[in-house]
Amino acid sequence: MFREMSKAGFVAGLLTMAVGLSAQVRFKDTEWPTHGADLAGSRYRPLDQINASNFNKLEIAWHFRTESIGNRPEFKLEGTPLMINGVLYATAGSRRAAIALDAATGELLWVHGEREGARGAAAPRQLSGRGLAYWTDGKEERVLYVTPGYRLICLDAKTGGLVKSFGKDGVVDLKLDDDQTIALIDGEIGLQSAPIVAKDTIIIGAAFREGMTAKSMHNNKGYVRGFDVRTGKRLWIFHTIPMKGEPGYDTWEKGSAEYTGNTGVWTQVTVDEQLGLVYLPVESPTGDYYGGHRPGNNLYGESLVCVDLKTGQRKWFYQLVHHPLWDMDISSAPLLADINVNGVAIKAVAQPTKQGLLYVFDRVTGKPVWPIEERPVEKGDVEGEWYAPTQPFPTKPPPYSRNGVTPDILVDFTPAIHDQAMTIAAKYKLGPIFTPPTASKASGLLATLTLGTAGGGSNWWGASYDPETHTVFASASNASLTPIGLVRSPKEVSDMNFILGTDGQEVRIARGPGENAGADAAPVPRTAVPPPAPGNPLNVQGLPLVKPPYGTLSAINLDKGEITWQVAHGETPDAIRNHPLLKGMNLPRTGQTGGVVTAVTKTLVLAGDPQVTTTADHPRGAMLRAYDKLTGKEVGAVYMPAQQSGGIMTYMVNGKQYIVVAVSGGAYSGEYIAYSLPSAD
Amino acid sequence: MKSLVAIALLGVLAMAQDAPSRSVWDGVYTQEQAQRGQPLYNQHCMACHGGSLTGGEQAPPLAGGEFLANWNGLTVGDLFDRIRTSMPLNNPQSLNRETNAAILSYILSVNRFPTGSAELPSRSEVLKLIRLEAERLSAK
Repeated sequence: MFREMSKAGFVAGLLTMAVGLSAQVRFKDTEWPTHGADLAGSRYRPLDQINASNFNKLEIAWHFRTESIGNRPEFKLEGTPLMINGVLYATAGSRRAAIALDAATGELLWVHGEREGARGAAAPRQLSGRGLAYWTDGKEERVLYVTPGYRLICLDAKTGGLVKSFGKDGVVDLKLDDDQTIALIDGEIGLQSAPIVAKDTIIIGAAFREGMTAKSMHNNKGYVRGFDVRTGKRLWIFHTIPMKGEPGYDTWEKGSAEYTGNTGVWTQVTVDEQLGLVYLPVESPTGDYYGGHRPGNNLYGESLVCVDLKTGQRKWFYQLVHHPLWDMDISSAPLLADINVNGVAIKAVAQPTKQGLLYVFDRVTGKPVWPIEERPVEKGDVEGEWYAPTQPFPTKPPPYSRNGVTPDILVDFTPAIHDQAMTIAAKYKLGPIFTPPTASKASGLLATLTLGTAGGGSNWWGASYDPETHTVFASASNASLTPIGLVRSPKEVSDMNFILGTDGQEVRIARGPGENAGADAAPVPRTAVPPPAPGNPLNVQGLPLVKPPYGTLSAINLDKGEITWQVAHGETPDAIRNHPLLKGMNLPRTGQTGGVVTAVTKTLVLAGDPQVTTTADHPRGAMLRAYDKLTGKEVGAVYMPAQQSGGIMTYMVNGKQYIVVAVSGGAYSGEYIAYSLPSAD
Repeated sequence: MKSLVAIALLGVLAMAQDAPSRSVWDGVYTQEQAQRGQPLYNQHCMACHGGSLTGGEQAPPLAGGEFLANWNGLTVGDLFDRIRTSMPLNNPQSLNRETNAAILSYILSVNRFPTGSAELPSRSEVLKLIRLEAERLSAK
């Protein structure tokens, strides 16, 4: 059965080539062949069978529960599937298996998992990951993904079997040949994002454990490499921390480039195949919040770097945050956009960020489309810290989510609530973007209270781009408060002088999901148990400390550099809607903390709620919403049994449009759900 | 004695499967149990979920509005089973039921649900008789 379908697909592929292209195979616009729909990261498909008039009629066509893929259920499904030739490919399950499903029925065609043992258990970024890559030359079809243990796997897309001619029996060990020595079992490095393949080159970044509380100022470095998709051979490497003799090395004073690590590209990469250019969003260096051991601007930390697709040579770069101290990273795919500003056509790249700023550059030259001004910023007083005197501020477009905390955004449903919020906030340093971290003092200020840092704005879910209207659609978390206080690090916790913490409370290493089991052997402290936590200290009787909207969806026009529309995204949370203090109040929709992956069609922007609610209209669950892409008006919503936790994508097969969304959370394990219109319609 | 209680509780389960009669507002754990749970939380959960249960960059909060929104309308048993089967993430199912129940008591205490005179049970089917409600729905 499957073989027959493959044959049909192969013929279809040949036909596509016939009407298509030169050297590369062109995919149909009814397919979704890369993580971001295309190499430009648009998450756009020009489909319109599902539209404003019928969105509410959507029903579940099929669903695929991932809990049997791997050794236990997973509750954090973040993947975006691909769809080519009637087959849907995705990562799934606690072991991050690759799966192939019939795109019309959801039937499992094959599954490939890797048992990585101790190496997988020690991985800094476990679970199912964000997806995979597909490649074809019109004849062979391959699927590529990176395991939790940081091995690049190449599969035959037709069978799910390893392609033996690739790497060593279908596998490239990414801990090798990386211009640094990394321990194979427990050396800290991994990758949860999907690889990207352009012109037969696979591009692979790197991720590490969370950097809020670094155990050491020394760590592995997150270099980026290109590999040959046919052989697995390494083609090039880009040193995200320059080596001695390379430009940028001098931005790491006192030789700190030698031992500082991280600075990887853990999120999605985009490529302009025609220009032969790759756009790399680089994260923070070691120690998210303390940079005293890495004086200097720290290139290419928190920089957008453009490199040559064939050689990995640097073409241009722009550092968005000098000497990073706020965990802003660059957390999502740059968006390639051909725009028109004041009558001038510009091949642009737009970079969404956690700080709610959209940085827009000419993607050929790296020159900002609208001026980016270096402005003086406040210098902090943490001992031994090095402070950048200025930071770059885009003059356009305006911020699309909050990136500072000031008294005027504290919750004010009633004057009494506002008074309580002010009392809580009085223990913190407040200020605009780039307000420096605070040395925590129990008798004084506990921390700098920040928004648009670790969990704010556009995190990994990024944004989508509509090439028809030249508009970016960004889902942003608007209320993810992060207190950044620093305390002296006990030597047994970290060799850094300062570490994230609160004065008077025990300092502990913060971890990400399932990372580094090897580190668990650390002795368990039996003394100095902190006093009982006073509930969530950044809440006023359960109400978020800041005003709604807690989460937004914004449309940002790139020809004008303006926000066209902005709406609160997500149903008002139950804890707000049913709060006794707000009884009788008529609240507009507040939106929800957190953001989601979006997708764009001919007419709609698609986005599910990031949290579950129970309302008079629906039982416990979340809504998948459709917005008119021109106005932001919600034109439809259908029920999902759990919140959108991962990707959303759309495709057409057998004349029918599908929307697939990844849901999970709470007690609901990971599931891909496909919606389509009823056949009778 | 314990088994008699269990049988009695099972009887309740059989009678009221669809509509648990108790909620977290009815004093379903003891203060002593929550105090026992705190160091266990610190040992097994705090690294990801934070000292104040506010979550991390990757781990969700276990206190406050977002946490309550996530679990509102389910039962304590659902939350217990989620913890039991998948936590701690780097070594799932490594904690016994009593440990999980103590940790869960601590989480309930941080979320300011009232204490009672009986400990939170450690059996999923019994815990499924206790509703998780973000707000007290009716005055008792």
